[in-house]
Order: sequence, then structure tokens, then C-alpha cells
Amino acid sequence: MNDLLNLLIGLAMGLNLVALGTSRLPSLIRIAALQGMVLGIMPLVMEHELRVMLLAVAVATVSMKGLVIPALLRRAMRTANIDRDLDPLIGFLPSLLLGAAGMIGAVVLARRLPLRPEHHESLLVAGALASVLAGLLLLIGRSKAISQVCGYLILENGIYLFGLLLIHSTPLLVEGGILLDLTVAVFVIGIIVDRIQRAFDSLDTRKLTVLRE
Amino acid sequence: MITGALLAAAAGAIALSLMASLRAPRCWLATVLASTLPSLAAAAWVLVSGGTWEWRSALLVGGESMHLRLDGVSALFLALLAVVGVAGAAYSREYWEERAHPVSAAAGRCWWSALLLCMGLVLLCANGLHFLIAWELFALCGYFLITLDGQRREVRAAGWLYLVASHTGTLALFAFFSLLTARTGSWDLGPMRERAELAPLFWLALFGFGVKAGLFPLHIWLPSAHANAPSHVSAILSGVAIKMGIYGIVRFSGWLPAPPAAGWVVATVGVGSAVLGVAFALGQHDLKRLLAYHSVENIGIILIGVGFAMVAAAHGQAVWGALALAGGLLHVWNHGLFKSLLFLGAGSVLHATGTREMSRLGGLWRAMPWTASLFALGAVAISGLPPLNGFVSEWLVYLGMFDAVNQPGATVVAAIPAIMLLAVTGALALACFVKVCGVVFLGAPRSPAAEHAHDCGPWMRGSMLVLAAGCVAIGFAPIIFWTALHHAVVAWQGTWTDVPAPESLMTLSLLQMALAAAALAGAAWLWRRAHRGGWARAGTWDCGYAAPTARMQYTAGSFAGIITEWFAWILRPERHEHRPEETLPQRAAWQEHTPETVLERIIQPCARVVIWVSAGARRLQHGRTHAYILYLIVGLAALAILTLVWGR
Repeated sequence: MNDLLNLLIGLAMGLNLVALGTSRLPSLIRIAALQGMVLGIMPLVMEHELRVMLLAVAVATVSMKGLVIPALLRRAMRTANIDRDLDPLIGFLPSLLLGAAGMIGAVVLARRLPLRPEHHESLLVAGALASVLAGLLLLIGRSKAISQVCGYLILENGIYLFGLLLIHSTPLLVEGGILLDLTVAVFVIGIIVDRIQRAFDSLDTRKLTVLRE
Repeated sequence: MITGALLAAAAGAIALSLMASLRAPRCWLATVLASTLPSLAAAAWVLVSGGTWEWRSALLVGGESMHLRLDGVSALFLALLAVVGVAGAAYSREYWEERAHPVSAAAGRCWWSALLLCMGLVLLCANGLHFLIAWELFALCGYFLITLDGQRREVRAAGWLYLVASHTGTLALFAFFSLLTARTGSWDLGPMRERAELAPLFWLALFGFGVKAGLFPLHIWLPSAHANAPSHVSAILSGVAIKMGIYGIVRFSGWLPAPPAAGWVVATVGVGSAVLGVAFALGQHDLKRLLAYHSVENIGIILIGVGFAMVAAAHGQAVWGALALAGGLLHVWNHGLFKSLLFLGAGSVLHATGTREMSRLGGLWRAMPWTASLFALGAVAISGLPPLNGFVSEWLVYLGMFDAVNQPGATVVAAIPAIMLLAVTGALALACFVKVCGVVFLGAPRSPAAEHAHDCGPWMRGSMLVLAAGCVAIGFAPIIFWTALHHAVVAWQGTWTDVPAPESLMTLSLLQMALAAAALAGAAWLWRRAHRGGWARAGTWDCGYAAPTARMQYTAGSFAGIITEWFAWILRPERHEHRPEETLPQRAAWQEHTPETVLERIIQPCARVVIWVSAGARRLQHGRTHAYILYLIVGLAALAILTLVWGR
């Protein structure tokens, strides 16, 4: 059981690196979606007996993170009609190296943290930290608004992984609420992206510095 | 009971004057008069009877119940406030009139009433919280009065500097009152000398009140504010507002225990302010700026008296301590009267000629006889010459220090140099006012403006006459005022009750009157002799110059040149020189300017460093969200490392 979970987490961590290394916007969206789906099935793996509620949440997560949100992002990308290249502030190789270093650091840190005995074996904390770091790296290192949304999604996936630590004490309804928030946020950002594109003829967030005062 | 009723009447009248100030100038003047007369009466009653008026009310302001208190010390300052307040109000009726200043005249009246009210509250409040509120409001009223003529850049700069300095002082007072409350458990103020653990708080009070009083290194705001404010405002600022700082120092050195060194420090600061204040005054060419530096000097003289009184209180020496304190407190009155008189006189000159620059004035005696003679009277008083009031208060301080010399111990070593330096101050002040009177009122006019000057009208003249009368009264009959001073001294230090009036005070009274009578008789005799022989006008001997011009006179700078040279180490005068070089030189020039050394050489360089550092820090904020997220990560990582490494 734990092995399967660790395998899935390892998959998510690998997807982090792929996200950092990719140079095309559609593939970044696809990777974020895939990671969301991997995360969505994790509760099913962790629990021993299958409950209806659990199943419903897993289905909702997978469909939201894997289908609805990517569809929204693709639509925003199409309506804004932007260049599919990613225009990095931090180059792809340096981001990959930083992501890998962050992953190793996350694993080392997770071993040093005072965790409960049942979490010692799992990669949950390490995966969560690595995803948060990768998301932040994407936020810092990519300049297009939509790629920043993807960074935000990956960061949120990391937080979701942390949340899985508490799966026995957090009602799944809370997870569902967070998921809904996330969807709405991406929906709103999709609209804003369109507006930014129309107003400024660019989605480069480096140009949005006038409001600093 | 009477005091309470009188103060209530005064408060009512001042509230009415606040309402009347915007629309009805005459009504405003009447209500200001109606508020100052009862408060003067209340103060006089407390000073004569020696009682203490206290009023506690259940009325809550800011969560604290009102507690007002008028004793000898506060009554002394309240009397001064009333006199100068009404004199300045009457003066402003002509000086800052509606026609010349259509907008700021009404604002000036309003803030004037507010200033009087707030200063009165500062004097009456016996609750730390209310004291702070009144103090802050009073400082703000001062700011709005200074910047009445806000069109001019230097006025705004002066107001800004005043505000900053004032708030620095208030910050120290916030700390002072908060710590006091934390240690005593209540905001209520009153005598608590027996609690020795409160002694270190005195330093905070000395700094906070010292900024307002303008003692030497803390006086940076004073010259520019006094010089650029309208003259009636300069008069009340210099005459009363800076005395609020003195009030604070006297009040809290009387109520709270003082550290052993406090008396010495206050006296030393006083001596320093006195000597350096007059030295800076000598270097000035701006009439009102010069007077402002004399405020620093006189604050120094007051603090010498207060400082020696604190030393005496620490050593249990009633007799000379009471003399020194009485001298200092009487000098509060005297300086309030003659400095207001001088500022109002300077205001008349400014009103008539449009300039404060002494090198553009000259020969005003003929055009403005009233202003010139009243200014000269004030100059005699401030120089500490008999037969006027400045001499009396300095005499009392001297007497106290002479007695201190007779005591065994360390006081001798301190008192003798203090006496000498006080004498030096007096001499320098005399030199400075000879310079002012000579350059401004004597000689020939140096500019067309000075040539076409006119004397001031009845309102301005009347208010100056009131202040001059005060100077003469204290000068001629100081013995009358001894009771008041004695009660103030007892209010400061309760055990000093059996101090008799110094015998020399009576002699001094007679001497001053005899001197005045002799001077009057001599003048009358000369006048009669001159008239009997008839006038014969002839040219002055002109040293062989066929056509002397007004430029061939001593300027303000050249007159004081020798003395300012002695103090060049601290005055740091800036000179621009263009010497005549060829055989027939086309032009030559010589310029000298005395900067505000403490402000320009110490405070401003420090401020520049602060601004440079903060401008560097501001570069971190550039609007690029990516970098902001990076800041977040760096901050989080630093926190994580901190907890992981040191948290264990």
C-alpha cells in the first residue's frame, strides 16, 4: 500500500521536474493536469476501505484538476492568442538543476523533521516540499501570466500533499471546498488574462510594475 | 472657590472667542480680553494667597477623570500667558489685519485662541494623559500659527522643522509619562518626591521639555521658527510657548525626585545656552533671528537659576536655593515681557519697512520714535541693566550663587565659573543690543524702504506699552512681586517656607527708582538747556569725506566682528570674499553668514545618511512580482533555518 503511494508521489515529483524543464505552454498545462490527476487518486490508495464520500472527492479532484482547470487555461490561452513559448526568466537548465537540488533538499529536510512514526516511511512530506519549491520556482522563473498560474497550481498540489498527512482528521469536505476555490480562482484568472492581453497587448508580467507605490 | 469661578469664566470666554474668531474680529478681541482678565486674576489670587486650587471631576476624557490643579508654579506661568496673550491679540489686530491678509487673518485669530486655551490646559492639567493631549494640541496650534504665511517657502520649511523637533520632544514625553504611569500605577500627577525609583525619569523630561524650551543643543527649530513666524506669533512663542518647556522642567523637578547629578546638568546646560545663545545672536544679521537666539540665552539664564535651586534642594540649602529659583522664575516673567516687547518692536519695523535684514535698515529713530524708544527700553531690560526688570531677576540669581559660594563643598567650584559666565553673557547681550539699536535705529537709512518708514498705529503701540509697563513695574518695585515668587518657590519645594525676602531687594527697589528719577531729571535738564539756547543745525564732522553715503556706516556684521571672531570655533561663519586687487579696482565684496551650526553641521549630515540608506532600501521595491516571490522564499527559508538551527 505504502509502496504504491510512494510510487505515485515519486511520479508527481518527476512531473515537477518535467514542468520545470518544458519550454511550451500547452505541455506545461498538460503536466499540471497530469500531476493533479495523480494526486486525485492518492486518497483512494491511502484508505483501506472504499467509502462513497471518498470516491466522490477523488472523482471531483481528478475531474477538476485534470479536466476542468486545464480546459479553462487552454481556453484563456486561445482567446488571448499568445505565443506558446515560455519566455523564461530563469533558463530551463538552471531551473531543472534548482528543482533537482530543491527535491534533494526536501528529502533531506523531511528526514530531519519531527514527524509521526507512521509518516516516516512515506515520501509525502518530501513530495509536498518539493512541489511547493517547484511551484515557487515556476512563479519566479516564468514571465507569462498563464505559466504563473501553472506554477500556482503546482504549488497548490504541494499544499494538497501536506493536507493528505491529515487525511484522517480533516473532513474531506474541506478538501472539496479548497478544490472549488481553486477552480474559481483559475476561472477568474482566465478572464483577467484575457483582459490584460487586450489592455496591454502582452501577458508579460514584468511589464506590470507601475502599481508598485 | 473664587479661582475656580474665575477659571471657568476664562474658559467660557476663550470658547466664545474661538467661535467669534472667524467672523467677528472685534468680538474676538473682546472675548480674548474677557478670558485673560479672569485667568490673570485667578493666577494673581493663587500667587498672593499661596493656596492651591484643585478640581476633580467625574467627567471622563480618554478614560481618565479630569483633574485640574493651579498652584504657585503654574499660576506664575498662567499670569504671563494672560498678559502676553492679550497683548499679542491686540497687536495682531493691526499687524495681521483683514485687508492685508484676507485668508490667514481669520485663521490666525482662531489658532491664537486655540493656542491660549491649550497652553492654559497644559498649565492646569494634573493628569499625565490629559497633559500629553494638551501638550500635543498646543504644539500643533503653534505650527499653524508659524505657517500662517504659508506662501513663502522658508516659512513652510521653518514650520516643518518646528513640527519635527516638537514631536521628537513629545516622543520623549510619551516615554516619560508612560514609564511614570507604569511605575506609579496611575496617570494622576502630584508631589511624589519620596519615591526614589522615579528619579531616572527626569532625564526623559529634561530632553522632552528641553526641546520645547530650546536649550542649547536642542534649540535647532527655534531660530527659523521665531524668525519666520508673524511677529505677534514670535512674541508668544518666545515669550510663553518656550516657557512651557521651562514649566515642565520646573514642575517635574518639583514633583518627582531628581537624580543627584540633575541640578549640575541643568545648571551646566543653562550656562552653555546662555553664553552660546548670545554668541550666536551676535553673528546674526536678521533682526528676528537675532532675537530668537537671545531666547536661547535667556532660557539659559532661567535654567541656571533652576539648576542651582535643584542643587540646593539636594543639599538641603533653603536660603540660596530659594533665591536662585526665585531669580529663575522671575526671569520667566521678565523674559516673557521684554522679549515679547522686542519681537513686537521688530514686527513694527518689519511692518514699516518690509525687511528683517539689519543691513537694509538704519535711521529709524526719526521715523518711528515710539517703536524705537519702546524697543530701546526692551533692549535695556534684556541686557540686564538697571533700572529695569532684567536686572532684578539676574540679581536674584547672582545673589543665590553668591550665597552658594559661601557654602562648603563642591558648589563653590561650580558657582564661581557660573557667576563669571553669567556676567560674560550679560556683557555680550549688552554689546548685541547696542549693535541692534545702533544699526537699526541710529545712523542714516540704508535703503529706500528704511527711509520711507512710518510709525505703528495705536493698537500695536498700545500692546507694546502694556508690556513695557510690565517691565518698568517689575524693575521699580520688585519687592511687591516677592510674595508671588515666594509662593511659587514653596509650591516647588514645600519645606522652603521660612525664606525671608532678601534685604537688598528693598534697597534695589529704591535704587532703581532713584536711578530712573535721576535719569529723567537729567534728561529734562538737558532738554530745557537745549531749548533755552535754541537749536542750531550743523553737519557732523565727516572725517574729510565730502559726500558720505549711508553705506559708510558700521554694518551689523562689522560691529560685532571682533566678538564673533572669539566664537568662530562654534559659530563657523561662512565667508565669501572678493578683495580689491588692481590699482583702480572695479568691484570688491565681502559677505559673512553665520549658519545654524548644530543643525547644519550635525543634524543634517546625520539625516543625509539616513536618507541615503533608506533610498537604497527603496530600490528593493520595484514592482516585479517574480522578485517579490523570491523575497518571500528567502524570508521563509531564513525563518526555517532559524527555527531548525536555533529552535532546538
